[in-house]
Amino acid sequence: MSVAAELRAPDRARPPPSAGAVRAVYRVERRKLSAQPAIRLLALICVLAPFLFAAILKIQTGSPTDTLYGVWVHASGFALSLVVLSFAGSWGVPVVVGIVAGDLFSSEDRYGTWKLVLTRACSRRDLFLGKLLAAGTFSLTLIALTAVASLAAGIVLVGHQPLVSLSGTMMSSGRSLLLVLLAWLLTVPPALALAALAVVLSVATRNGIVGVFGPGLAALAMQLLLLVGAGVWAHLLLLGFAFTTWPALFTAHPFYGPLIAGVLVSVAWAAAAVAAAWAIVRRRDFAGAPVARRRGWRPAGRVALALTAVIVLFALAGGWGPAGVTADRLKGSLIPAFNNLTVLQQLALGRPVAPGARLNIVLPTCSRRGSAPRGPGDWVCTVNVIIPAQGSLPPQPTAVTYDVSVQSNGCYKAQSPPAFIGQQTMRDAAGHSVINPLYTIYGCFNVL
Amino acid sequence: MAAVRASGVVKRFESTCALDRVDLVVAPGEVRGLLGPNGAGKTTLLRILLGLVRPDAGSVELFDRPPAQAPALARVAGFVEEPSFYPYLSGRANLELLAELDRGAGAPIERVLERVGLASRAVDRLAGYSSGMRQRLAIAAALLGDPRLLLLDEPTAGLDPAGVREVGGLIRELAADGVAVVLSSHQISEVQDVCDTFTIVRRGRAVWDGTVAALRAQAPASAFALETSDDAHALALAARTPGVRGDASGRGLTLTAERGRLDAYRSRSDTPAWRSAGSSCWPARSSRCSSR
Repeated sequence: MSVAAELRAPDRARPPPSAGAVRAVYRVERRKLSAQPAIRLLALICVLAPFLFAAILKIQTGSPTDTLYGVWVHASGFALSLVVLSFAGSWGVPVVVGIVAGDLFSSEDRYGTWKLVLTRACSRRDLFLGKLLAAGTFSLTLIALTAVASLAAGIVLVGHQPLVSLSGTMMSSGRSLLLVLLAWLLTVPPALALAALAVVLSVATRNGIVGVFGPGLAALAMQLLLLVGAGVWAHLLLLGFAFTTWPALFTAHPFYGPLIAGVLVSVAWAAAAVAAAWAIVRRRDFAGAPVARRRGWRPAGRVALALTAVIVLFALAGGWGPAGVTADRLKGSLIPAFNNLTVLQQLALGRPVAPGARLNIVLPTCSRRGSAPRGPGDWVCTVNVIIPAQGSLPPQPTAVTYDVSVQSNGCYKAQSPPAFIGQQTMRDAAGHSVINPLYTIYGCFNVL
Repeated sequence: MAAVRASGVVKRFESTCALDRVDLVVAPGEVRGLLGPNGAGKTTLLRILLGLVRPDAGSVELFDRPPAQAPALARVAGFVEEPSFYPYLSGRANLELLAELDRGAGAPIERVLERVGLASRAVDRLAGYSSGMRQRLAIAAALLGDPRLLLLDEPTAGLDPAGVREVGGLIRELAADGVAVVLSSHQISEVQDVCDTFTIVRRGRAVWDGTVAALRAQAPASAFALETSDDAHALALAARTPGVRGDASGRGLTLTAERGRLDAYRSRSDTPAWRSAGSSCWPARSSRCSSR
């Protein structure tokens, strides 16, 4: 029997090249990614890090108060998951998608294997789509692992106590769980957009270092850009903003404008990045080592220049559009939250509070420190509360001053000296040490 | 239907013209050798045939289809330059991935591994493979897809003499079964017994095209300049050796002959004592020769 006849499998006809080719490439990429120690280690970190974080919080009294819901991590496991989500949105997700997607294309350059895969029975388009699919699904799998692990760690090590909303009202455990899951779900669009960004960086530079670290640097740049200017339009166009829209779900009256904008902006970023990456791959000549070596760091330099230009453009456009953060919006959010949290505090202390009771607050003021009274940054809000007291006629207002740190997404943290609102922890009616809900107020308002 | 039909192919890399109006036609069952020195454009031509590089001008068809189209590549396999695989996987795992990309069609992996003599090392990681083993794995990868056209860039590079013979025999058997093969080499001695036809590529141009017999008939014999202690005696000796022509009219003595004839000339017992040292192709102790 001849060699060709001996090697040929007569019972298996070669399938039409286009059918199922993307699925085949996806299976190959999945297997390659699974075999890489870095990906396995990353998956392990995604599972273990939330438990480690929860365990560390458990053995110490401090809490990450600068992060939304940080002060509540000892009070509810759901708060722990949300703190992990905040960190993930800032750093975790860019790192994860960078490691997964940032080297998926450039590794073929590093190993010299483009010529190996491009000479099989699948087209460039099939390879591109299969790799893209693998980058997306692996990124999302790792994020899902982190979400589940953070929820499990919170519930196991802290408990499933109800969560306080960002308007100061109490939510049931079931609603808290549902909202936490939705919040994690909202990271999917910007995470996929970052993965697409990692892919285009990897494809354009053929450099794994740029692809892996690019999303992290882009996320850092976007966070810094969110601090520049008071205008809302340029901020809305940043992926960093899309990662911080989930708190809108946790208010008493959820607002969906930023959520929808975040999803649309993420889709636009992802589409642009994928289109650019495909244009490069489609037109590329796989001309071998001598030609590739001549390119050196020139492509990376060009990409760095282009990204710098984009960053400068966004910085200049920081004041574009109406101000999202204003004194009226801040007051409109802080006062009801203060009112509701005071009720919670009084209930926790065992004092009778009539249903629908409200504080008598007069002339609340909010002003921004050192500059124009609009935009994110440090604000000071004064709440004048009239508390009737025996022998005091007429009742005199008591001023409570809060230092408020406001972010561009309209979320803030307000803290006051303990003179009026007490210490961070207090004794409840049963004598247990509990979080004083007025010590740190977290809130959010709609910037659109 | 030709396995390969390339016409007027031009490819430039920046200011370098890698290919200049190259024509190539290969029939099913034909083994075509691309011969030429390093940098002549052989690998670029193979890259274009494999769809890795797009020509700036001209047309290329494999089985009447453009090479970049998957339907064409489904019947085409091969490799260019040194074989590259995923180093963190075993040889077998690499082939499994490639078989997956081919969606399971083609030859069974075990049979291919056995055919190229890698069955016993199949589970080893690529990082531990020698260059010869990588070359064998590349041939296995090419055979895996049950190709009707094989495009092989220096397939015997890194192989020991036995390996060279094995690969040559394998190629001839495939050709006998109707598989078209295009292989490149810069050493005619390694592929002359394997190829039916040759295309000689020089500075990006196909300068000669024909059969092995025609190439042998037209190729001029090699000329060697020699330094001897007795040119007159060496010249007389050359006159008595069939196929060797001596010429002492210029500077020193020049012998023109095929290499085998020169070897016969050198091996004669009455060869004069060679004066100089440092030869690479004659006995190092006694002579110096250089190819013209």
